[in-house]
Amino acid sequence: MSALALIIEDDEDLAQIFAEALRGVGFKVESVVDGQTAQERLKKGPVPYLILLDMHIPHISGGDLLTNIIRKDKQLSKVIVIITTADARMGEAYTELADFVMIKPISFIQLRDLTSRLKPKE
Amino acid sequence: MSLLNRFLTVPTTDPDDTRRRRILNILVVSVGLVILLTLLASFAMILLKVESWGNLSLLVISCIVGIFAMLATYLMNTFWSGRVAAIVFLVFFNLVLAFSDTPEELSVGRSLFYFVIPIIMASILLAPWSSFIFSSISSIIISVIAASIGSVPNIPAISGFFVVALVSWLSARSLEHALKELRAINANLDQVVIDRTQALAESLQRERVEAGRNQAILNSIADGVVVFDRKWNAILANPALKSMLDLPIELIVNKNFRDLIEHPRLSPRSRGLLYAMMEHDTQPPSFRIEWGRKTLSISAAQVYGNSADGNTNLGTVTVFRDFTREAEVEKLKSTFVAIVSHELRTPLNAILGYAEMFKESVYGPMNDKQINMAERIMKNTQRLLGLINDLLDQAQMEAGKLTVQMAPFKPADLLENIHGVMDQLVHEKGLRLTSEIEDNLPEIINGDAARLQQILVNLVNNAVKFTDHGTVHVRLFCPHASRWGFEVADTGRGIPESELPYIFDTFRQVEGPTTRAHGGFGLGLSIVKQLVSLMDGEIRVKSKVDRGSTFTINLPLVIPETDTEKRRTP
Repeated sequence: MSALALIIEDDEDLAQIFAEALRGVGFKVESVVDGQTAQERLKKGPVPYLILLDMHIPHISGGDLLTNIIRKDKQLSKVIVIITTADARMGEAYTELADFVMIKPISFIQLRDLTSRLKPKE
Repeated sequence: MSLLNRFLTVPTTDPDDTRRRRILNILVVSVGLVILLTLLASFAMILLKVESWGNLSLLVISCIVGIFAMLATYLMNTFWSGRVAAIVFLVFFNLVLAFSDTPEELSVGRSLFYFVIPIIMASILLAPWSSFIFSSISSIIISVIAASIGSVPNIPAISGFFVVALVSWLSARSLEHALKELRAINANLDQVVIDRTQALAESLQRERVEAGRNQAILNSIADGVVVFDRKWNAILANPALKSMLDLPIELIVNKNFRDLIEHPRLSPRSRGLLYAMMEHDTQPPSFRIEWGRKTLSISAAQVYGNSADGNTNLGTVTVFRDFTREAEVEKLKSTFVAIVSHELRTPLNAILGYAEMFKESVYGPMNDKQINMAERIMKNTQRLLGLINDLLDQAQMEAGKLTVQMAPFKPADLLENIHGVMDQLVHEKGLRLTSEIEDNLPEIINGDAARLQQILVNLVNNAVKFTDHGTVHVRLFCPHASRWGFEVADTGRGIPESELPYIFDTFRQVEGPTTRAHGGFGLGLSIVKQLVSLMDGEIRVKSKVDRGSTFTINLPLVIPETDTEKRRTP
């Protein structure tokens, strides 16, 4: 059974590209487009193996999601979090809380290579 | 007493005629009084029966005639001619004398000396020389009187009269000369005083006009102007400053600058800048402060004046300009650029991602031509993204928002990454990219790895762009314990010497905008230079046309205490 990756990204095209990259290395992919939906999704439903979190999303910011939900919830403690942002300084600010920081523009190949290294060993 | 005093005072500055009239009046009144007293005494004696009316009738009548004569003389002297009045008085006086005693006594006896009186009077009342006329008249009178009693004229007395006339003439003349000179001096003095007063009034007027004009100029300047003395006390401020700071003028003028700096409306950073301005003689030409919601630009200039010991500092003129709107526009501009850049980057990221998916044959196998096309899309998108990054960096730098984040990193990674990024491009152009690292450079140092990488990519990219054959060489070095740096040397076409001073300017390329053969905004080197200065480093360039260019960056070397490495990608 393949591991679940949750993509939290408001740009449809980027979400699709990220999804293809993750599917390509064998993840099962689920996408949400805003902070509010992401928060609700994280509270119920299966725990993802990996979260790809955009910092600039509507309603609840990626930073708030990371600080107040993901890193506070015991069930989510083992989730690998990759944050994506166009703002290098924002990335800098969350290096402690995130496992990886990717600065936009994010390359399909780069994301694919990174996640293929991270996926659980079969 | 003062009335008598005033009556007897003869001002020396009066003209001769006025002075003589005054003296005549004094004499007329005095003689009149004597006659009046004589008349009263005569009446008293008649009433007391000491003397009979018969003996005194002639005296009484003479006295009454005398009083009228004096009155007439006084009026004539006051309202008509002083000269005629004086002659009348003197003639009358002589007549009285001629009948004042017996002919014997008058010609040779006790009353002879009476005739000296009109001679002296004449020199004072008419003119100095008239003493001679009256000495002649007196001589004639006593001769006539002597003849009337059959005697010979009194020759010694007559010669005495002339001696008196001579003395009177001399003394009156010298008095008149002295007075004349005094009056001339006085007049001269008066003229001097008038001239001086006039000059003073004129210069005061000029000064008032000048001061008024300067004040008007100062008042009409839209910039706030305040003038400080050497101890930073405000001695002058214009209304524009008052409205700019929204403070009553009393809180500005005659106050020390420190009082203004401590005002709560000033931001702490601005306070620091203003104190720095006060303490250092050399200030930046202008700087900005925040006053409440306003942004003010300040420029200060020392005022020097010429004095005996050379140029002395008199104080400082400080000009405040309201920069609020400009600051807002600048902020708006950088916000605009930031938003636009961000909004451009997201779709470009999508284009890049889809192109990569093509290249990687995500949706099925692709032929070589298709893959090549996908690569071209990727390359162009990368270029566009690079340009947008430059614009964003430039906007952030202009807004003062760009900062460097110091963290431990491996300098060797810089070289590894530059090969990763550039090798393909270098290979495509048929060039070689070589690199070396000096042994004495520590393995881990402090720095902003991302920004250093950006600088290096920029320089190598430029080198590749302007080199057609040969090598681009990157060298990391450590000249001594407190500095490190890197240089990028190429064998390209070089930069003309005339262009070297400008290559770090924003939007500048060696070719003009219409003749440019190379893409880019011309922001690359400008950003490199600004980043290097943010890191307290310096950049130098050496170049020879057709021989190549070498860019050298020199940075402070800081070795981290513990080498805690963070996981960070890419």
